[in-house]
Amino acid sequence: MNTIILTINDALFLYYLVANLIYAFLLIFAIRETVLHHRMLISIRLERFRASPFSPPVSIIAPAHNEGQSIAQSLRSFLTLDYPSIEVIVVNDGSTDDTLEVLKREFQLLRTDLPYVKEVPCRPVRGIYMSQTEPRLLVVDKEAGGSKADATNAGLNAASSPYVCVLDADSLLEKDALLRIMVPILADPARVIAAGGIVRAVNGSLVEAGQLRKVRLPRRFVEIVQVVEYLRAFLVGREGWSHFNMLMIISGAFGVFRRDLVREVGGYRPEAIGEDFDLVMRMHRRLRDRGIDYRACFVPDPVCWTEVPPNWKSVGRQRSRWQKGMIDTLWPNRDMLFRRRYGRIGAIALPNLWIYEALAPVIELVGLASIVVAALLGILSGRFLVLFLVFGYAFSTMLSIGGVLLEEITFRRYGDWRDVAKLLLCCFAEHFPYHQAHLWWRLRGMWQYLRGDVAWGKMTRVGFSGPAAKSAAR
Amino acid sequence: MNPITRIVEALGPASYVVQAVIASLIGAALLLAFIMGRRAARRRYFGHRDDRTQVLRRQLPDILAGRIMPEAWRRDPLDDRILEEILLDRLEIAGREEAEQIRYCLRISGLLDKRIHQARRRRGWRRLHTLVVLGRMRCPEAIPALAEGLDDGNVQVAIAAARGLGRYAMPEAAEPILERLELKRMFLPANVLQTVLYHCCRDRPSMLLRAIQSTDDQLRPMLARVLAEVASAELGEDLVLIASDPLPEVRASAARAMAGARPRLALAALQQLAADSEWFVRLRAVVALGLLQDPRSIPVLLETLCDPNRFVRLRAAGALSRLEGHEEEILVRAIRARDRYALQALVGEMQRSGAMLAVLNGLADPRRRLRSRRILLAAVRAGAPRLLLDAVLHHANWRVRTQSVRLLAETQDPEVLRLLRFYATDAQRPRERVLLGWLERRLTDSAPAAAELPGPEPQAAPRAPEPATRPEARVPETGGTLVREKR
Repeated sequence: MNTIILTINDALFLYYLVANLIYAFLLIFAIRETVLHHRMLISIRLERFRASPFSPPVSIIAPAHNEGQSIAQSLRSFLTLDYPSIEVIVVNDGSTDDTLEVLKREFQLLRTDLPYVKEVPCRPVRGIYMSQTEPRLLVVDKEAGGSKADATNAGLNAASSPYVCVLDADSLLEKDALLRIMVPILADPARVIAAGGIVRAVNGSLVEAGQLRKVRLPRRFVEIVQVVEYLRAFLVGREGWSHFNMLMIISGAFGVFRRDLVREVGGYRPEAIGEDFDLVMRMHRRLRDRGIDYRACFVPDPVCWTEVPPNWKSVGRQRSRWQKGMIDTLWPNRDMLFRRRYGRIGAIALPNLWIYEALAPVIELVGLASIVVAALLGILSGRFLVLFLVFGYAFSTMLSIGGVLLEEITFRRYGDWRDVAKLLLCCFAEHFPYHQAHLWWRLRGMWQYLRGDVAWGKMTRVGFSGPAAKSAAR
Repeated sequence: MNPITRIVEALGPASYVVQAVIASLIGAALLLAFIMGRRAARRRYFGHRDDRTQVLRRQLPDILAGRIMPEAWRRDPLDDRILEEILLDRLEIAGREEAEQIRYCLRISGLLDKRIHQARRRRGWRRLHTLVVLGRMRCPEAIPALAEGLDDGNVQVAIAAARGLGRYAMPEAAEPILERLELKRMFLPANVLQTVLYHCCRDRPSMLLRAIQSTDDQLRPMLARVLAEVASAELGEDLVLIASDPLPEVRASAARAMAGARPRLALAALQQLAADSEWFVRLRAVVALGLLQDPRSIPVLLETLCDPNRFVRLRAAGALSRLEGHEEEILVRAIRARDRYALQALVGEMQRSGAMLAVLNGLADPRRRLRSRRILLAAVRAGAPRLLLDAVLHHANWRVRTQSVRLLAETQDPEVLRLLRFYATDAQRPRERVLLGWLERRLTDSAPAAAELPGPEPQAAPRAPEPATRPEARVPETGGTLVREKR
C-alpha cells in the first residue's frame, strides 16, 4: 500500500514537472514568435492591404441570443472595421429579449426575399433582413437552436465571402483587428486555413459608441484573475502551439476561417458544447486525412474585447461548460491519438490536451487524495509536501508572470501602473482560492457531461455602457 | 542567531511556505520595480525624442532648402534617425514638387547612399528593416539594391524587398521581379507578388501581357489576376487573345480585364466566355457583362440566370438588376424562362441593389406610376409579394402604401391572402389595419372567381423545375419565400 501511495506521489510530482516544463517551453517560443511577428510587421504597411483589390472579402458572423443590451454597440464596432470589403451577418438565434427590435430600430431593417441555401445544418430561418442605412449588414432571424454553433451555421449559409470571421455578438473589435488577423492569410492564402486573434477582457474599461476609449482593469478579483488567465492562455499557450503548427483552439469569440473548408467539414456541429474547438479539430482531421499542407495561425496583435463573467457563479458555469466541451470534442476524436496520419496533432497536441487539460482535474483530485492517504498512513514527508507545493506555486506563478511581462513588453494595453501592479499581484494570488474553485468547476463539468447534462447555462451580462453600468452591476 | 531566523527555523517544514511567501513578495516588488523603471526610462527616452522631433520639424523647411547643412544633423545618430523618419513620412503625403525636394535632400545628405550600402551589407532582420526604408524613399537609384534583396535566402527579407519595389509603383521596379519570375529564380507568396505587380504595372499593363505569354502555367494565373486589375484601353484587342487561353484561371482573368479595358470586341468575347465549361469563368464573364452595362448583353445574362451553378445565377441576377431602365423587360423575359429559382434570384438582387425600392417609390409619382406598377406586378408574380406587403406596413409614403394595396388586390394571388394573415398581426396603426382589411376583403371576394379564371398572364406561371438540371424542391420556410436547395 505504502509503495503504491508513494509511487502515486512521485507520479504526481512528475506530472506537474512535465506540465510546467511544457508551458515554460511554450513561453520561450511564444517570446520568439512575438518578436518575429513584430519584425515581420515592419515590412507591412496595413494601409496597403486596405487599398489592395486582392484583399479577399470577409463575412463577419455574429450570432446573437438575448444580446439586446449590447448588440447595437457591438454591431457599430464591427461596421467601422478597417477592411476593404466586409459584410456583417447578425444571426438572431430566437432571442426572447428585444434583440431583433433593437436591430430593426437602430438599423432600419427591411425584410427581404434573398435566397437562402441551407448548406450546413441549422434550425429554420424565419426571415432575412437588410438594413436601409447600412448595405453591408444582413440580419438572419432564426428559431432558437440552443447553441452558438447552430446560429453560426445559419450565418455560414448566408455568407457570400471566401473567408468568414466568427465573433461573439457581445464583443468589440479594435478598428484594425480584422486587417491584422488577415495578415498571415494574405501572406500565404494557399496554406493558411484559419487564424485566431487575442481575446481580452473588456470588464472595467470605458466603452463609448461601440469603441473602446480607455483600457482599465476590472476591480473584482475574479475578473482580474480571468485577465491573467487570458493573457497566459493566448500570449503564451496559443502563440507557442501556433509556432509548432499545433493550434487546436481558435476562440469562438474571434477567428477567421476559410468558408469553403468550414462548409466542407459540415460547419459547426450544432450539438457541440465547445463548438470552436470541435470545428478546428474536424478541420485538422479533414486536412490531415487528405495529406494537405496547411497552417492554422494565432496572431497576437488583433484584439477582440469581450465581457468575461463578472462573478464566481458565472465563471463556474462557464468553466464547467468549457470542460464539457473539451471532453465532448476529444472523445469522438480519440482515434486520432498516436496515428501516424495525424502527425504532430495525434502525437503531441492531442495527448497534451487529454493529459493536461481534460484529465487534469481527475489527476489533481487523485493526487490530493493520495496525499491525504499518505498523511493518514504516516508516510507523508512534510518536507516533500511543502517543497512540492512551493515548487508548483513558484513554477506556475512564473508562467503567469511570463504572460503579463510579455504583454507589458510588447503590447502594453494597460497604461496605468496600478493595473500592472494588480495583475502581478494576481499572478501570486490566483492559486488560492481560485485554483481550487476552478478544480471544482471542472470536476463538476466532467460529472455533468457523464450524466448527459449538456446545457449551456446562463451568463450574467452587464453590457458596454461604460464604467457607470459596470459599477451599477457591482 | 538572528531572532527572525530562529523563528523561521522553529516553524520546521512550514518555514518553506514562509520563505515562499517572502520570496513572492520580494519577487512581485522587484518585477514591479523593473516595469516601473522600464516605463520611466521609456518615458524619458520618448520625451527626449519628441522634443528633438519638434525642433527638427521646425527646422525642416530650412533643411529642405539647404540652409541647414546635413552635417549639422547627421552627426547625432538620434537626429539622423528622427529626420529620416520625418522625411519619409512627409514623402508619403507630398506633392510632386515637394517629393522631389525631399528626395534631393535624401541624396545630398547621404541618407540614401547609407541605406543602399546597408541593404547590401546587412543580413537578417536588419536588412529587412533597411529594405523597408529604401522602399519608402522611392529613389530609382535604390532599385538595384532592392532587386538584390529579392535573392536573399530569408523569405521575409525577400518579401520586404518585393514590397519595397512595390512602393515605387513604377514599371522599372516591376522589371527585376518579372525577370526573376520568367527565369524561375524567385518563389514568393502569390499575394505579395500580386500586390507588388499591381502597383508597379498600372502604368504599363502590357508588361504583364508579355509575361503571361512567356512564363509557365504555375505563374500565368497569378499574372493574369494582376492584369485583370490593371487592364486599360492600351491593351486593346490583345486581351481577346488570352480569352482563349487553355488555362481556365487565365480565361477568367481575361473576362475580368475586359470589363476594365472595354476593347471593341469585349461583348462578343464575353458572350463566348459566359458559355465556358468552367463555372468560375462564366461567373467572371457575367460580372464583366454587368459592368459593361450594355443592353445587348441581356439575352446572354438571362441565359446565365438559369445556369446550373447558383453563384453564376446570383451574379447574373446582380448584373441584370443594375441595368437601369430595362427592369420590366428583364422581368417579363425572366418569367418567360419559367425558372422560379432564376426569378427569385433576380427579384432578390433587385431588392438588394435598391432597384426595386426605386421602383416602389415610383408609385408615388404619377409620371412613373404606370411603369412601376408593371414592374411590381411582374415581381409579385415572380414570387415576391412580401415586397409590397412590407411596403404597406413600413413605407414612409402613405401614397406608396395605398398604391401597393391596390396592386396586391389586382394580383388576386391566393399566396398574398395566406401571407396577409402573418402581416395582419404586425399592423400597429388603425390606418394600416384598414388597408389590410380592405385588401383581405378584395382578395377573399375574388378568390373563387379567380380560381375559375385562367391566370392573368399564362406564361407567367412558373413551371415545376426539372430534377436533372434544376434544384429539386422549393420548401417555404415559416411564412416566407426562402428556398432550401438540394443539388
